[in-house]
Amino acid sequence: MAFFLPGDKKLGVATGRRRYDLPLNKSAGTGFLVLLIALMTFLGVMALAGSFALGSMAHHWSSGLENKLTIEIPADDATGTIRTREDIEKLSESVTERLSAQNFIRDIHALSQTEIQELIAPWLGEDAENIPDMPLPGLIAVEFITINDHLIEKMRADLANIAPNIVIDRHESWLADILRLTGALQFATLLTTLMIGATTIIAIAGAVKSRIAIHRKDVELLHLMGASDRYISRQFQRHALILALQGAAAGAAAGLLGLLAISLFAGDTAAALLPEFQLNMIHIFTLAALPAAACFIAAATAKFTVLRELALMP
Amino acid sequence: MIKFEHVGMRYGVGPEVLSDINFILEPGSFHFLTGPSGAGKTSLMNLMFLGRKPTRGLISMFDQNINDLERAKLARIRRRIGVVFQEFRLLPHLSAFDNVALPLRILGRPEREIRNNVNELLEWVGLGDYMKSLPLTLSGGQQQRVAIARAVIGRPKLLLADEPTGNLDDEIGLRLMNLFDQLNRMGTTIVIATHSQHLMDKFEHPRMVLGDGTLKINAPKNWIQKKIKGVF
Repeated sequence: MAFFLPGDKKLGVATGRRRYDLPLNKSAGTGFLVLLIALMTFLGVMALAGSFALGSMAHHWSSGLENKLTIEIPADDATGTIRTREDIEKLSESVTERLSAQNFIRDIHALSQTEIQELIAPWLGEDAENIPDMPLPGLIAVEFITINDHLIEKMRADLANIAPNIVIDRHESWLADILRLTGALQFATLLTTLMIGATTIIAIAGAVKSRIAIHRKDVELLHLMGASDRYISRQFQRHALILALQGAAAGAAAGLLGLLAISLFAGDTAAALLPEFQLNMIHIFTLAALPAAACFIAAATAKFTVLRELALMP
Repeated sequence: MIKFEHVGMRYGVGPEVLSDINFILEPGSFHFLTGPSGAGKTSLMNLMFLGRKPTRGLISMFDQNINDLERAKLARIRRRIGVVFQEFRLLPHLSAFDNVALPLRILGRPEREIRNNVNELLEWVGLGDYMKSLPLTLSGGQQQRVAIARAVIGRPKLLLADEPTGNLDDEIGLRLMNLFDQLNRMGTTIVIATHSQHLMDKFEHPRMVLGDGTLKINAPKNWIQKKIKGVF
């Protein structure tokens, strides 16, 4: 027969559900702790997703341009006279023919006027094709089997015979700047994630300390009755874990909704300027592990804080 | 079994409240601890249930020097001690049942055994109808009985009680003293701190008398005669 009957809860009578020796679940500030963990998890998800996006974009940029360069036939010649569109097309054909014969070239492709206008569309708008007199350079995308400085110098000398002011762009200068910038941003987001974790630890430790202070007499009583430090810390640990589970689940759900909202509302604008980005399985697992990490941090922090406080008792 | 050698204790940098306390409590002995207010009874009880550490001297409990023991072993020793606090110290959010069950839960006993033992003991102390009641709804006497039941439920090797019959009527008080006697006959060492001359006269056990921070043990004549008879 059950010791407590259902519906026994009334004034001055304990309920049948004895979950803690210490009334931690009734302590003030429980809701605040859940909210704090939810916010921290939300921020963690956003920061980590940002870091993944930056990492993925940097990888996309650097791997997409490996062994590649662009040859530019400037819109004006060495004397400053603007070349006609036909002149540029002829020079492009000469360069393409000359390089196609080389055995170190894997692929060569002269960009059409339409392709060039598509490239500048994000800056000049869709109406760029309606400006017929706008001087545009000729662009030729070249992919090497293996690129090195010697081959480039050889090619530069060769192409100077076709047009002396031809420009060879290895993308190094702007790519290095962009990679440095994305690397710095990625580091900042990771640092932010770590700071969020550290803040969570400090906040939980503070909350646990205040609960110990509130229930000090009861904790001391358990200690004097021979309860081991582990027995007492387990109660705080379980309490912190339950709160963290609630907070982390809410925070993670809010974070995923936030990411979804960002991809829906900012996706079209960003797509024109930035390479396409998708979370891979590792990213998804890491983001999914974040709430679990929040729970682990909460439980471990509670445990170690309680053990440290108990160590002060005789 | 319990040995105090030149034990002294002070709070912080204050004067010594206990100085040069020496005694041995044999297993299965029964003592009253008495003395005027402020003589240090509570401080001595604190030392005996390992609530504080002595400022000087050696304390040995159950043949182990507690000065050198690690925390886990100290916790194991505490589990062998039952304490009835003067202010009861019941956990206010737990029912009478759960308060009494606490030492058994700390000992890791199975829930079925806990239920049977606690039910039986609470019935025995006359609180069968109050098992689910929270301490604040109980009278002082009822709370005291819950505190006593909690102290004895784990069959401790040493029972320390601070004024355990202070709030009880004569009949219940007598009944609980008989419970202590019964536990004592089963081998529990008992120390009861009391001011009650009436109680000490009624139950003739040796008295540990505290005064001016030191301790003397007096045995009533009848008790000595009984012991002598027991020897011969």
